[in-house]
Amino acid sequence: MVSAERASDGRSAPRTRLWLRGLLAGPLALLTACLLMAGAALWLPPGPAQINNLVLPIVLFPLLWATLFLYACLERRLGRAYAVIGALAAVNGIVLMV
Amino acid sequence: MFKLPQDATKTMLAVHGWSGVLLGLLLYAVICTGVAAVFATEIDDWASPMSRGDTVAFGPGLDNALRHLAGAVDSQFHEEVAIWRGAGGRVNMLFHRHEIGPDGKSTERGVEFELDPATWEVLDRREGWYEDIEAQRTPSGIAAFLVDLHVRLHIPEPYGLIVTGVLGLAMMVAAVTGLVIHRHLLKDLFTLRVGRDPVLRRRDLHVVAGSWNLPFAFILAFTGSFFSFATTVGLPMVAAVKFDGDQEAVIETLYGTARAEDTRSASSAAIVPMLADVRARSGAEPNFVSVEHFGRADSTATIFTVLPRDRLVYTSHLYDGVTGEYLRERPPLGNEASLGAALVGLMYPLHFGHFAGTASKAVWVALGFAGAYVTFTGMLLWTRRRAEQPGWRAMTRAVYCVGYGLPLALVVAPYAFFVLRGHDIPPGTSQGVVFLAVVAIAAVATVGVASLDRLRSAFLAATGVALLGLPLVRMITGGPGWSEAWQAGIGTVLALDVALLVAGTACIGFSRAGVMPVATVPHAGPGGTPRVDSKASLQ
Repeated sequence: MVSAERASDGRSAPRTRLWLRGLLAGPLALLTACLLMAGAALWLPPGPAQINNLVLPIVLFPLLWATLFLYACLERRLGRAYAVIGALAAVNGIVLMV
Repeated sequence: MFKLPQDATKTMLAVHGWSGVLLGLLLYAVICTGVAAVFATEIDDWASPMSRGDTVAFGPGLDNALRHLAGAVDSQFHEEVAIWRGAGGRVNMLFHRHEIGPDGKSTERGVEFELDPATWEVLDRREGWYEDIEAQRTPSGIAAFLVDLHVRLHIPEPYGLIVTGVLGLAMMVAAVTGLVIHRHLLKDLFTLRVGRDPVLRRRDLHVVAGSWNLPFAFILAFTGSFFSFATTVGLPMVAAVKFDGDQEAVIETLYGTARAEDTRSASSAAIVPMLADVRARSGAEPNFVSVEHFGRADSTATIFTVLPRDRLVYTSHLYDGVTGEYLRERPPLGNEASLGAALVGLMYPLHFGHFAGTASKAVWVALGFAGAYVTFTGMLLWTRRRAEQPGWRAMTRAVYCVGYGLPLALVVAPYAFFVLRGHDIPPGTSQGVVFLAVVAIAAVATVGVASLDRLRSAFLAATGVALLGLPLVRMITGGPGWSEAWQAGIGTVLALDVALLVAGTACIGFSRAGVMPVATVPHAGPGGTPRVDSKASLQ
């Protein structure tokens, strides 16, 4: 990740950006994956057995987190990574609260 | 193969290394115990065989035993009766009810009988909360110890499962990043620079083993994470969102209600004809029976089998518990087939490798062993590259301690099981104490020994001797000898004894084998002064 930070724009200190990226890839990606899992239980179609909306989010949870983690690591524009993951979290958060 | 920008490749390489090195030691422990746990059933049969090896667990006499024992327990425990094949072919019969345990969590309480399937004599009786009953199951003590270490590292629930779930995520990230950092995957699969720079050779071995193992590592990590997080994170969150936090309601929705409630008394149908019917329908041997509301008009019996040859997703068969009528085949979840149920059903064969019997289990063990090797060598490559720094030198020693000390501790722990089997000490406790003692000795030795190569040789030799001694201690403590096992048809005892002897001999051979010198590796001498160990090995 250090090399990626060096390669990206130099507007903020690399170490700060590294921590920000680590924060996004670790705890924030995990939180978003949890919100996605919980939210999907509400918006996924239940299917003929009426259980798909309960089961699929739980089954796919590890993949959700891994995808978000890798995206957070690879996206060169850190702001966009925050925006995308933040939007996912916000949408599902709103679904859960409504 | 993958044309990532150079900085992205570097990032992936950093993520690959750090995900492995930060959690690698724990991951190595989980993989090692998982490799052994693939053969948990066989280990049980080896450690606690019955007098005959060809005993059918669910043979004639099961119904008489069930009725007789039902009369011997409090009727509140007729809520559910679970019957399954235990260690050595014993029949375990657990009468229980679902309750909220002392810790405020949903669990079971009841009475469990352990039966001889030939005579239906009660071999043991255990009662209490499920966790207490489980701790008293002596015949399956060795495998249970390994499985518990694999599943939750003996850390109390739910934290242990969360830790192993995080380890699964780390392994998944390491597998994915390990794939994308290949620029020439096909070439890397076959590149082994034997005879050149030993460091390059070690690196090539790591890359080749890791590359071939990538799909398997991903599957194991994914399924393992699912098993860890499903009940600790997933189920509570879904329950909170959809069922106001009522986890029992989620479980009822997922598994479906078999029949409408009817609390009137009714005589129960015989189980043995149902078992014969399931064998005829599925072509597979039943291994688990669950009778709900035994002795009531709404009683049902659900029968599970080992995976039939032509299937990857297990199902179960539902019968009317009063008339014995076949009701329907049930998917793993819900009352009818669904994508969610199919995916959950797939998780089991993919993680346990039991979809094609012993053959697929052997492949899973081999691939798991390769995974442990990749984890171990990956950590060594990472730490050795940074050997100039004192912190990483200490980490190299920790890797040696766990890499060679953990297998030794795992092999020595069963000695406690055999020696203390007749005593009141639960097998998990006795093995746990010995396991920790060996780990502590290994840690002290790692700190005190100057040469890591000598340490490696000593650990390997000790592991070899311990492996060679296991069949002997098994026999001395009352287990059948080879002639007796052969005549009784207990093939598992012979097969595992031979496997242990071969593994023990191999370990001793490896410990005595000459070590190819690698690049000079400094390590902390007395007072923290870096010294040079020219014979340190990555083997």
